[in-house]
Amino acid sequence: MSHLVATPIPARAGIGLRSYHFHEIVDTPPPVAWMEAHPENYFGEGGMALRILERIRARYPLSFHGVGLSLGSTDPIDRAHLGKLHTLIDRFAPTFVSEHLSWSSVDGQSFNELLPLPFTEGSLTIVCDKVDEVQTILKRPMLIENVTRYLTWRDSTIPEGEFMAEVVRRTGCGILLDLNNLYVNAVNFHLDPVKVLDALPHEAVQEIHLAGFDQIGRVLLDTHGQPVYPEVWSLYEWAIHHFGPRPTLIEWDTNLPPLSLLVEQAVQADAILGAHHVLTA
Amino acid sequence: MSSLRELQHAFATAIAGGKSSLVATEIVPDRMARRSLALYRRLIRNNYVHTLKITYPVLHQFVGDSYFRTLARGYIRRYPSTSGDLFLYGRHFSLFLLSLKAPRILVELTRLEWACHEVYQAAETPLFTKEPWESLASSDPSCVSFRFSPAARFLRCSLPIHRLWQALQPDASSEEAVDLPLAAQDTGVLVVRSEGKIQVIGLRAHEYRVLEAMDDRKTVVEIEQIASECGPQRDCASFIASMLELGVLGGIEIGRRS
Repeated sequence: MSHLVATPIPARAGIGLRSYHFHEIVDTPPPVAWMEAHPENYFGEGGMALRILERIRARYPLSFHGVGLSLGSTDPIDRAHLGKLHTLIDRFAPTFVSEHLSWSSVDGQSFNELLPLPFTEGSLTIVCDKVDEVQTILKRPMLIENVTRYLTWRDSTIPEGEFMAEVVRRTGCGILLDLNNLYVNAVNFHLDPVKVLDALPHEAVQEIHLAGFDQIGRVLLDTHGQPVYPEVWSLYEWAIHHFGPRPTLIEWDTNLPPLSLLVEQAVQADAILGAHHVLTA
Repeated sequence: MSSLRELQHAFATAIAGGKSSLVATEIVPDRMARRSLALYRRLIRNNYVHTLKITYPVLHQFVGDSYFRTLARGYIRRYPSTSGDLFLYGRHFSLFLLSLKAPRILVELTRLEWACHEVYQAAETPLFTKEPWESLASSDPSCVSFRFSPAARFLRCSLPIHRLWQALQPDASSEEAVDLPLAAQDTGVLVVRSEGKIQVIGLRAHEYRVLEAMDDRKTVVEIEQIASECGPQRDCASFIASMLELGVLGGIEIGRRS
């Protein structure tokens, strides 16, 4: 059991931790307020990655952003996976633990991809049961994140924002709001992202993700492999004005850039958060 | 469609290349619908190919990207993922290559890289204190055996595959030629994490046998006997000392008489 206590994450910008930047971060800790890691990358029992995570945790508040629990699957929760997550949480005391509002496995086969759910009453029951189960075992609330989708299910009868708000109401979980995902869906399906934001309970939104996308023809792909686009920055300014300042993560997963570019993006997010502080003061 | 489970099952069938008409009727026919299943199929496949490239970087470099992708796609079809933890994906790759009757060098290289992959995240080797060593000197060698470190593996090979692995590391000199004899040899390779770094070391046949004996919890007397069978010149004590120094051994047990 860790002696660490979860450190509050300020309403400032952090960056996603990737092994590509490990040594640079350890040698020259960047001026960011916090870091976020995928817990699955640290499920091993030992080795360099865990040692580096310990050093980073000693310096920065940390959050865990899981990708493997498959909250929307009709399969039972993988208890071995959840057990490893629990062990890691005990050791590193992250401030937030989040997962995706999606599914990725059926009949024991995993796709390791964040697949979209139909927003129905049936899905709501399954997701809420899973969130309840995870929160009970971890003995802490979790955050759920909206995902990118490349299809719309005919059966979806509940608007996405209302679906998320209902999961929050039934389970007491919080929301990790990914504005890039929201923007990509809005462009691909001609939707108004503000309608989703309007439906979310303000106090439930505890963290924001920003990232970049790629474009193939008229379709946007959520690759997390580019700088944050101007349209997403604009949506971010709107969201900060709407919800108030929130801890904000610059997420970059593919085509990884030099650490300095991630830090630049974090500085840009901090400027928007800071401007809001000044305005409200 | 009546249930979420049926929908997810139909989606899985379509992604695997099976009948997609069932799930296609469940998708709103907007401008994205036509390409959505193909897009998901590509995203999922690329994710697994990327994972295999990370797990088998030397094999990838050795055979080239195009052939590696062909192998990876075959593997993905044959061995679907069963876990949300991608660290476990790819563990049957050497078996898959074996089933293709791939060249021995590829199979052995794949086994070696999986061992590296496991060792990278294995539990830490317990730190030796002086006490066991002091007691070792005064103990009856027929009562002393060793425990292997969780962060060490040894494999039997028929080719000096460690040399290929070493030559294809990012920090290796590109000028160095690798001479791999084609004739099968009885040899081995040791993978150990030492001070956080993966080391791959070639083993001669008698060294492999000594490690095998240690792993079987043979006593020092039995290990020396095995080493002497390999030839009188074998210095068993210095080999054991070098294994201790590398962190291959994770503990000493005193008590069992051979």
